Amino acid sequence: MKPALHRGPLTRLGDLSETRYWVYFLLFPSLILLLLVVAYPTLYGFVISVREMRLTRPGLNGWVGAKHYVAMMSDRVFWISLKNTAIWVAAAIAIEVTLGFIAAIALNRNVPGTKLFGVLILLPYFLPNVVAGHMWALLLDPRLGVINDLLVRGGVLSTYKAWFADPATALAATILVEAWHGFPFFALLFLAGLKGIPEDLYKAAAVDGAGPVRQFQLITVPMLRTVITAAVILRVISLVNSPDLLLVLTGGGPGNATQVLSLYAFQTAYREFNFGYAGALSVVMFVILMVFATLYIRFTRVSKE
Amino acid sequence: MTIFKTSRGRRLIADILTYAVLVTMTIFCLGPIVWMFLTSLKVEADIVTSQMQYIPRTITFQNYRAIWTQSNFPVLITNSLVVTTITVAICVLTGTLAAYAFSRLSFRGRDRLMLSYLLVRMFPAVMVIIPLFVMMRTVGLVDSRFGLALAYTSFLLPLFVWMLKGFFDAAPKELESAARIDGSTRLGAMVRIILPLARNGLVASSVFIAIAAWNEFIFALMLTTGQGSRTWPVGLQLMVGEFQLPWGVLAAGGILSILPVVILFAIVQRAMVQGLTAGAVKG
Repeated sequence: MKPALHRGPLTRLGDLSETRYWVYFLLFPSLILLLLVVAYPTLYGFVISVREMRLTRPGLNGWVGAKHYVAMMSDRVFWISLKNTAIWVAAAIAIEVTLGFIAAIALNRNVPGTKLFGVLILLPYFLPNVVAGHMWALLLDPRLGVINDLLVRGGVLSTYKAWFADPATALAATILVEAWHGFPFFALLFLAGLKGIPEDLYKAAAVDGAGPVRQFQLITVPMLRTVITAAVILRVISLVNSPDLLLVLTGGGPGNATQVLSLYAFQTAYREFNFGYAGALSVVMFVILMVFATLYIRFTRVSKE
Repeated sequence: MTIFKTSRGRRLIADILTYAVLVTMTIFCLGPIVWMFLTSLKVEADIVTSQMQYIPRTITFQNYRAIWTQSNFPVLITNSLVVTTITVAICVLTGTLAAYAFSRLSFRGRDRLMLSYLLVRMFPAVMVIIPLFVMMRTVGLVDSRFGLALAYTSFLLPLFVWMLKGFFDAAPKELESAARIDGSTRLGAMVRIILPLARNGLVASSVFIAIAAWNEFIFALMLTTGQGSRTWPVGLQLMVGEFQLPWGVLAAGGILSILPVVILFAIVQRAMVQGLTAGAVKG
């Protein structure tokens, strides 16, 4: 069935695919690329963090050791950012997991129309951060915002409120936007997890006299444990790492009410052009994430056994 | 309250509750988008009013015309398209090979290598971008579309590999073995049997990273300095700062930028969801 080819490059490639070198051939391109755009920059990032590197002052370019890390310890903004990052991530994850769970359970029930609802509910996750940010800035605008209008009409508020400009509400308002943008991710993964639970388990439990609540405790939660673990860690990583939404919504303000580590590092690099200090901030972020991930994975494994 | 006693009654209540939840969530998810769409059709006077105007009194496409003519829109969109295309091309070319290797070949350190592909995502974007910026400035790739696409692969390639591996895993091994018995080389079996079987997965994974590349903001903001490679999200953001665009124009810009995402998502939604979940559930 195969035409007799001359020993062209394709045939030779076919021969190569039979050797043990084939696997290296397959992995080589992506590996080189990742080493180039991730591994090398990361190492370079560590190096930058112990050097002085300011784009505005090209002459300054020397080894300063732990200077940036020491400076960080007495940097008030760093500690505020650290605290805000913790609050922001914890609150957003809690809301997103809860909403995601409710959505997944509803979408997993056999009622007509769940497919369409599924598409509509997942949509926010695929929208650009920039657009999501501006859309919510419009919705919550202190003069023209429709949410203010609805709240005033409903008697919840007496006057329009500048949600993002008030230090008391700014962080909460950005968490709301993040929850809107991120909960479909959990709904998606939880739904897949729910679909993987055999129906028989519930039937057996029902025969044994377990009600819906016991079934949820004894079957749904344990069966979803892996999915929940994976989803939470992936989301924590992306929430800690990406300053996009806060950059668009508040820029860290008012004051430092919504300043988080990723945004602080970003602004240090691109507003003050202080790459060395920004590098040190990102290294600290990376270390915190690594410690968190290790502890988290160990903890969830232990509790499984 | 006999309705709670019978199982039919209980199911009816559960169904009603289900729809209540689904409708509420749909309103929560779509409400903002619908509002943006309505705003984009309003004339300025209907947006800036003392009395909130819910439905536009007159429908206008002026905002769309304005964003097209005032915002350098054609250049920005072209840049976004080119960067997205190059990103997808790089990921498909290199990622498909890697995903195949991870799915079908066994070699020493496979699991560890796969995990390190995922670990890449743990590196703070800012941490990678600063050195990337310095590196790219050295080789003249700052503000180039190719350079930006290269930077995108740092976080999209691992995702692509993981997603596609799930689809490769789902393709039956027997067909591949049969082809090998018939004298096909490993390469032949991969190209003629596995790739066609995983075609939907390949499309879905590509669309997923295309959407992510299209939406990307922070890399694009930091690695572009001018018109050479400035993408649409960055353009949109900079417009807000520089010109204080009226909301109507901004809303029109938002609608225009999510349109391709919505269309692509609707087309490959099911396959994409399968792939995403396969990757995450196993990982």
